Formats: sequence, C-alpha cells, structure tokens
Amino acid sequence: MRFRSFRGRLVVVFVGLFAVVLAISLLVVAGFVRAAARYEIGEELRLASTLFVRQLDARSQQLVGATRLLSGDFALKTAVGTADHETTRSVLENHRRRIGADVLMLVSLEGAVTADTRQGAHPGAAFALPRLLEEAEQTQDPTWVVPLDGGLVRLTIVPVLAPDPIAWLCAGFSIDDRTAAELRRLTGLHVSFLRRQEPGFSVHASTLDPAERIDLERGLAAGRKSGLIAIQGAQHIARAEQVAADVLVVLQRPLREALAPYNRLFWILAMVGGAGLLLAILGAILVARRVSRPVLALAAAARRVAAGEFDTAVSVRQSDELGELAGTFNEMVAGLRDRERVHAELQRAERLKRFFSTQLAELLSAGDESMLASHRREITVMFCDLRGFTGFAEAADPSEVMRLLRDYHAILGPLIARYEGTLERFTGDGLMVFFNDPVPCPDPALRAVRMAVEARDAVQRVLEDWRQRGYALGFGTGIAMGFATVGRIGFEGRFDYAAIGSVTNLSGRLCQEATDGQILISASVYAEVERFVEAVPLGELALRGFARPLLAFSVVNLRARDSVPAASGVSTGDAGHAR
Amino acid sequence: MTHRIFGASVLVVLGLLAAGGTPPAIARPGSIEAVVTDQTGKPVLDAVVSLMPLGGPPPALRPTPAVMDQVNKEFVPSVLPVVVGTAVSFPNRDNIRHHVYSFSSAKKFELPLYIGTPAAPVVFDKPGPVALGCNIHDWMVAYIYVVATPHFAKTTADGKAHLEGLPAGPYEARVWHPRLRGEAMTKPITLADDEEGHITFALSLKPESRPAPRREPYEGPQQSG
Repeated sequence: MRFRSFRGRLVVVFVGLFAVVLAISLLVVAGFVRAAARYEIGEELRLASTLFVRQLDARSQQLVGATRLLSGDFALKTAVGTADHETTRSVLENHRRRIGADVLMLVSLEGAVTADTRQGAHPGAAFALPRLLEEAEQTQDPTWVVPLDGGLVRLTIVPVLAPDPIAWLCAGFSIDDRTAAELRRLTGLHVSFLRRQEPGFSVHASTLDPAERIDLERGLAAGRKSGLIAIQGAQHIARAEQVAADVLVVLQRPLREALAPYNRLFWILAMVGGAGLLLAILGAILVARRVSRPVLALAAAARRVAAGEFDTAVSVRQSDELGELAGTFNEMVAGLRDRERVHAELQRAERLKRFFSTQLAELLSAGDESMLASHRREITVMFCDLRGFTGFAEAADPSEVMRLLRDYHAILGPLIARYEGTLERFTGDGLMVFFNDPVPCPDPALRAVRMAVEARDAVQRVLEDWRQRGYALGFGTGIAMGFATVGRIGFEGRFDYAAIGSVTNLSGRLCQEATDGQILISASVYAEVERFVEAVPLGELALRGFARPLLAFSVVNLRARDSVPAASGVSTGDAGHAR
Repeated sequence: MTHRIFGASVLVVLGLLAAGGTPPAIARPGSIEAVVTDQTGKPVLDAVVSLMPLGGPPPALRPTPAVMDQVNKEFVPSVLPVVVGTAVSFPNRDNIRHHVYSFSSAKKFELPLYIGTPAAPVVFDKPGPVALGCNIHDWMVAYIYVVATPHFAKTTADGKAHLEGLPAGPYEARVWHPRLRGEAMTKPITLADDEEGHITFALSLKPESRPAPRREPYEGPQQSG
C-alpha cells in the first residue's frame, strides 16, 4: 500500500534488484566456498593421512632400529648363544622395558619361540607367524601390523647376529586406544584402527566412543572407504588407509568442525552482504527522495497554480529531465501569470474606462502612473452643457430626466472615446473634455472642434424630440486652448485627473456664452482649425473672470473634407471666407 | 700343507723303499681339482673343499698353529680352514681393542677386549664351522672351518681348489661356504693312483648380507669439486 507511492516503488525496485543480485552472488560464492571447502578438507585429510602413514612408517623405523640395537646386545647374544633360556627370557624382559615394547620374543632359526616375555607363554611353541620370518630375511623394513592375542600389534623381527643369525628377535608394540590417542595428538584427527573381518570391519583401537565406533564400522561396511560417514548423527569426513593386509587406519574429523572456518567466511560474506543491502536501502531512499522531491515540489506547485497562485515557482536546480520539466513548468506558470496579468489589466482597464478616457484608462491599467504626476502641457479643452436643463430637471419627471441624460451621455460617451478625449468631469448635463493629455495627439484643437460639431448635430436630433414635447432644451459648447497644470488631484481614496488653468475656465465661459447649437472657440483654437471649419467671428467678448475681452468665433460647420486646403495653404483668407 | 702331504708321501714311499718292496708296488698319489660355482654358475671364492677318506681308520692329523689376524678392523683371512686340534692365535694388529667371540657349536669362545696377541691361542677341537665376530665391530666377520681330514683346500677367485697327494681310494668330498644354505654339501669320489680327479659343486648360496655396511665416519659436510 505504502509502496504505491513513486518513492516507495523506486526504493522497492532498487533494493529488490540489489537484493536479487546480492543473493545470486552470495549463493554463487557460497557454492564455490562449499565446493572449495570440501576439496580443501579432502586435500587436508589426504595430506594428513599421508603424513600420518609416514609417521607410522617413521615410528616403525624407530622400532626396527630399537629392536636392531637390542639384537646387537652382546649379553643377549651370549645368553642366546649359550642357550641359557631363563637368562634369555630375563634379558628379553629387561630389554623390552628398555625400548618400551609390549612383547619381546626370541625365535629360533627353526621357528620355535625359545623365549617370550608374555605371561603364560610356553617355551618351544611354534612361532605363530612363520611367514613373517621368511619375509624378515628379504625385507629392509621388517615391520608388520598383525593381529596377536586378539589385539593389533606392530611387530618387528630382526635377526640376532653372532655374527651369523643365531635367532630372531621379535618386538611387538600393541596398537590400542592409547596409541590412537597419541596419534590424534599428532594430527588433530580422530584415528581408528580397523581389521577386516568379513563381512565388514571391526574397530580395534580408536579415539572414538564405543557408539561412534559402531557407526564407523557400519559406515565402512557400506563400502565407502573415504568420504562422508554419519557418526552419531553428525557427518564426518573420513579417509581410510591400508596399513597392512586387512588392517585399515581411518582418519576423520567432524564435517562441521572442518567447515567452521568456511562457515565463518560465509557469515562474514553474509554480514557484508547485509551491510551492503542496508546501504542499498539507504541509498535507494536517498535517491528516491532526490528524484521524488522535485516531483512532489512540482505537484505542490501545480496545486498552488490551480488554486490561482500564479507567483508560484519551482526551484529545481537539476540539469536532468526533471530540471527541464521544472523549468518548463516555471515557464508555463510565467505564461499563465502573464496572461492573468493581461487579463486583469484588461479588466481593470475596462473598469477604468467607465470613469476615465480610454487612453487614460489604458495607461493606468498598464500601470504607468508617471503621467499622473502633475505637469504643464498645452491642452485643448471642450466644455459643453444643455440649455434649460435646470428648469427641465425641476419640471420633468425624474425618470424622464434620467432618460434624457442617458441619451445625452450615450451620444457623448462614444464620441469622447472615438476622438480620444480625456473626460475630466461631468456634472449632470455639463461635460469637460480635454485633448493632448495624458496622451498627446497631433491635432487636439481640430479633434475638439470636430467632436463638438458631431456632438452638436447628434444632440440636436435628440433634443428635437424633447422640444416637440414642449421642453425648451438647447446645447452649447465652448472650446479653448492653452497651457494648464494637469495631474492627479484629490485625497487618499478619491483622486481625479484634472486640468487646472485659465484654459478650463475659458472653455467653460465660452460654453456659457454659447446659445443653443453654438460652438464658441477661442482665437487660439480658431487659429488652429480655421482651414477646416466654417466659423463666424463674434468679436471680443467680455467674459466673467477675465480681465480683458477675448476674441471668439462660432463654428458653423466643418468644411467638406475635399475642400480642406492643403496645410501649406493655410491662411486667414480661408477663415475670413468661412466667416 | 701340500708340502706336508707331499712330505708324508715321500716318507711313505721311503718307508716302502726301505722295506725293500719292489717299485711297481709303490702307489703314487693322485690329485683333485674341484670347481665350485653358485646357483647362477659363477665361481665361488673361499669355499672350503675337504676330502674324507672312506673305509679306513680316521686319517692322522698333525695340527700346526694357525693365525687369524685382525688388520684394519677386519679379520684376515676371512675364511680359515684348519684341522681339528689346531691352535689359532688372534693377534690384534690394530691400535684399538677387539672383542672376538664365537657362539658356534663347534667352538664357543670369547676373547674380551684385548690388544696385541692373547697369551693363549684358541684350540679348535671339534670339526665344523665357527663364525667369528667382534663385539664392537659388527662388520668384522670371519670363519674358521675345522675339518677332521688333512685333505682340504680353499677355492680361489676362479672357484677352483687343488688337492694333491691323495692316496687312491674312495673319498667323501665335502664343500662348505659361509653363505651356504643348509648343511655342507658332500659328494663321493674314488681316486685311482696318479689320477687327477675332477669334481664340481654347484652351491646354493644365500645373498650377501653383512650386518651393516661399513661406513666411513662422519667428517663434516663433503666438499664438492
């Protein structure tokens, strides 16, 4: 369940693969180790067995040497030579002790035992193993392992020379458990001497317990001379050597004991493997975390983006595919952010346009507030309002007042937008629009005039209806041109973009002076537009708030476009003609 | 020895002449050449061939002293045939002592460690082989073969032994060798006057097996080259 996470799966796959590889290599190594161990143990046993046999031979040689030394003893020769049997027996007993033999016998050249250190031996009895006397004459190594008195004996037979052979001296060293134990000290292996006794073998001397001996006999009876023998439930690795006719020496050691060093090696390997597995798990977790962390970070970032946090960015500094993915993701979020910002700007601009001129709205929505700072600029200001509106507003039904205003504004609003004017304010029926700020335009005066003409014509059509219904309504316009201080005015919470200067006053006064349908323009405006309009001079007008009378013109209409003279041909003559 | 035999014959001849007998009656002694080989046909050295006359009184023996030297830790000679009653002296010519002994049934004796020549020689009064040993030098082996006849000789390296001055008559020829298996070998032979008889023996000998080969004493590592 837990492993359904990307990280978990990564860890499981990684560790699993490692574990499989580790297990395979451990198994292979273990197999090799076991095979090598078997081989080594076998070799060890073979070597031990060779050494053991050599040791036995060396012991035999020592015994032969000791026996030879005894045979050269002159007292013995004298006793034998003089056929003094009692003395001979006594000498033998003495000499037996000298070399630590278990039995010493003197055998005549004819094969009769003339003296014997064994209890209850009969002098004169035939030697039990006459074959050995014959062999003793031939061989350089006159020693044999033979059964004697129910036991096993290592027998050496050397002649007593005086200086020709006058008798045989036989020394016997019995092979018993003590012998086996001594040999075990030498080799560190269990030593057993067995006699072949059809149909099997019987242990004669051994370092094994009685029960173990029975198992060994059974194991050998099964026909395996070397290899594994089960001894008291434990496997023993054994090797048999034939040391005499029908006599085997079996060397063995418990397999577990022999395998102990290899098992230790195996455990070390297993521990190293375990440590490797742990490291692999840790490494896998680390790697998985490194891999999954950016994935998780991306996922979290995607969630945030989904929740609308477009300022989200993923900080993945990798040069791999995930780094690329994160980079792409960031780019995508940046794109979304831009689109969102554009969208928000558009929305804001739409909102602003309801209150500001399109240009101003766009500037504001674009965040360029620099032009909001107060500055001086030459602008053209158009002021217009309705004649008789106050009376109408008092007399007419409020809904009709609002309808008139709605119609009125519906005419002027689009015009302002079309001529890219800046609506500074409107107060019921009065509107003030200026041009060349905040967005400069090449022909502010002409624009103002054209818009005024178009507005007059449109408003007159609307007013015609109302007049027919008995309301005395009219529409007047004033246009002036001059420098003004333009910028943001107001206070925190309410700001306006306003133009301050006499030009606004002038346009307002000219508007006041205008009769219904009149468009009054100042002299400076006229100077700008005279080529394009038909206007009549009104002479100097004394206007309230202005110390001197000012020259004003009334725009009758726009000249037809094709009749507009070229700019180079602008002259007062045209204006005069228009008048 | 041949001198003695020859001398005896001369005496016999002179005696006969003195008795005034006619010359044709005088018997001239014969001789025998014995050839001794081993079972492989190789000539055998130091085999003692003796002839015992048959059908008559035991021959008269005139033992003369004999010598068994010890030179350079060896017995010299290695085989010494003597007639019964011979006194053998054992002079030690080495500058170390020897301990000569024998446990043979023909003569058991012991000359414990001595230097020079023991005062009393050993008299060999029984026929048969006597194996001599030295108790302190195992390789020193020699044999005194005691015979009861004046007719005997030792083979040389070619395996031949010559016996001369033998009166005509039947004999038992006997050969003995230290390595002979079993008893001495005998063969009957009858000799006519002045005859040179031939007799061959093929002995079955035991392989050479002296106790321990004589080795030089250790004198440190051998220098090579």
